[in-house]
Amino acid sequence: MSSSLSRRALLKGAALGGLATTGALSGCSSGPPPGTATWSMWSSSPEEQRVWTDFGHYVERRMHIRSASTLTPSDGYPTKLDLQLVSGTASMVTALNGWLIPTYASRGAHRPLDDLIAADPDFDPDDFYPAIRSISSFAGHTYAIGFDVAPTVLYYNKTLLERNGVDPPSPTEPMSWDTFRRLAIELSKRKGQYGFTCSPTIDDLVSWIYCAGGNVVDGDRDTSPLDAPEAMQAIHYVVDLFTKDRATPPIDNLVTQNASGAALANFLQGNVAFMQNGPWQVLNVRKASFEWDIVPFPAGPAGSKPRVSGSSFAIPSGVKGDDLDLAWRLLKTLTSTGALDIYARAGRNNPARLSAASAFEPPPENLGIVQRILKGEVAGGHPFDVTTNWNRVRLLLAQDLPRAFLGQKSAGDTIDGVMPRLNALMRQHRDAVRQAT
Amino acid sequence: MAAPTHTAATAAPRRTPHGPLRGPRPRRHGSETLAAWLFLLPSLAGFLVFTAGPVIAAGVISLLDWNLFSPPRFIGLDNFARLGPDDTFWSALGNTAYFTFVSVPLTLLVSLGLALLLNQGLRRMAVFRSLLLLPYATITVAVAFVWVWLYIPHDGLVNAVLGVFGIDGPAWLISDDWAMPALIVMSVWKSFGFGMVIFLAGLQAIPQQLYEAAKVDGASPWRTFREVTLPLLSPSVFFTVVTSIIGSFQVFDQALVMTDGGPGTSTTTLVMYIYRTGFENYEQGYAAAQSMVLFAFIVVITAAQFLLQRRLVHYDL
Repeated sequence: MSSSLSRRALLKGAALGGLATTGALSGCSSGPPPGTATWSMWSSSPEEQRVWTDFGHYVERRMHIRSASTLTPSDGYPTKLDLQLVSGTASMVTALNGWLIPTYASRGAHRPLDDLIAADPDFDPDDFYPAIRSISSFAGHTYAIGFDVAPTVLYYNKTLLERNGVDPPSPTEPMSWDTFRRLAIELSKRKGQYGFTCSPTIDDLVSWIYCAGGNVVDGDRDTSPLDAPEAMQAIHYVVDLFTKDRATPPIDNLVTQNASGAALANFLQGNVAFMQNGPWQVLNVRKASFEWDIVPFPAGPAGSKPRVSGSSFAIPSGVKGDDLDLAWRLLKTLTSTGALDIYARAGRNNPARLSAASAFEPPPENLGIVQRILKGEVAGGHPFDVTTNWNRVRLLLAQDLPRAFLGQKSAGDTIDGVMPRLNALMRQHRDAVRQAT
Repeated sequence: MAAPTHTAATAAPRRTPHGPLRGPRPRRHGSETLAAWLFLLPSLAGFLVFTAGPVIAAGVISLLDWNLFSPPRFIGLDNFARLGPDDTFWSALGNTAYFTFVSVPLTLLVSLGLALLLNQGLRRMAVFRSLLLLPYATITVAVAFVWVWLYIPHDGLVNAVLGVFGIDGPAWLISDDWAMPALIVMSVWKSFGFGMVIFLAGLQAIPQQLYEAAKVDGASPWRTFREVTLPLLSPSVFFTVVTSIIGSFQVFDQALVMTDGGPGTSTTTLVMYIYRTGFENYEQGYAAAQSMVLFAFIVVITAAQFLLQRRLVHYDL
């Protein structure tokens, strides 16, 4: 039996179908059910994803509720988080890289946690390394609770040093800058072999600046001390390693060289003696086809004081009422010793808690120096000082510094050219801090 | 079958009081009008939601001081006043103009040249056409990554080829002087396929009798091209120029992947600067003001092209 379909019937059918589809789609986009523990994190590899899945299981076991994590590749994480915060769709707990905490805190995107900490006798802030407590604070208030913290260290290629008849550096006594430079030059004499690698960005340069007694940010002034003699000494030192000493692999392009993994890629090729990087790369360097280890960062005029970085969990300002209670319990669980044991045992990074530190285990043989540096027993570290507009500072310096590293402009001229714009950003930062306090 | 409802073919044209001659306006059934609107609705809704809406929203946001998280504050035209002393904005605008006014003519020339070649009735033309269209069909980011590798100063293919001819190639993507030309070359390679297809369609629509007549009149190939091909191809050229200029003013992805806007700001394009202002520096109002300026530039340039169209574009000889 056949029947003809009139145009009116067809249109009506299409309209009904459209309505049904819309209804179904809107039903699908309603998000996790109330009472679910939602949290956001960056994740760029299957290994990372496995760790966060284990975190999810841990949360469900400990809290007896459903855990729903939103995982985003690290490059796109801040943008996605911004949009979620603005649209009110952010998770109740969100991971933050330490250098972004002042940015979010000063804009009121995340809430201070002091009241929740004070009202919770089970939470012990003293179990966290002082460096991560400093990194997670803004204007005297705690805005986040850390999950990892670590100083920049110096990786070295044991095999390459041995092949060149060079003794391994001391795991407890940092090399002086003079010794390090002499070694880097010596190890660069063979064709295709280099003494040192780091990225030509402020994120790596800042460790040398701290070791020289300088800084990019001065907490008390609204001008940057980047052009002060101490900072300039460090900038000249590192730029010379690139341009005069030719102790570094040549810069082929700015995009990959500015990326965080560039130094790692150079080092893993096996023809670079020393790499500046954090212990968060231990997991990746374990894939190297040569013997390697880590030692403290070279000591400059002010000693060995490399950048100490960390990451934390925070609660968005929009989380209120019952959700706030759940968010605090979730945050405590995600930063508990048990969760950080999972994180550290997987080799991701040094955990932020002292009680979880033993889970971050060798190899390499000297991995223990990470905790000793954080405790001040070996060399030292300097919490990463950033501004409320560090994104802009980073971008400004990312545009101008490479010209010095490429030898297109002298280090002095580069910094002179940057200073007026940098000082304008520092004034803006001071205003933001004043308003926030 | 329904009977015709009007006799348009036999009705005499009528003159409107202030306008040209017009035929009688066809009457339509209400259901046909409704059907027409229903078919138009998806496009219209898409235009309103994804084009007109954002443009209006950007206009409103450009009057605000808004960092995404704090409540927005109305500041009038302050964001536009900030543009004057902003060197990076003018540098980005200059870079975008440089990119546009070099890459668009080059792309047109390459597209036209290849379209003319393919129009010669070569054997296996479909294969050539498909191969030449491949760069256009490939994702820009993927192409850009490949070109980063090609441009590597020491071991890259581009400098290796130049070396064969005794030329010591520059450090393309990290050189102040060469980074933008390197981007332009990549972009021409990426986009010539689009123009080539449009030109090929235009060439194939030109009546053969005109070429035969030119041949009978003894016109040289160059004169035939100048007097027949080019005028009748002018609608295709016009379309390609307008769309290419609009696209070039919005260049973003290849610059981001290949140079990150550097060295310095030598390859920072306007859209890249707008993105960074809005989503990295959290200055939504200022970014919206910049985007309104870009919008105005594109509208003015496109309007100028439409004005020129009356003099330069021919739909018949």
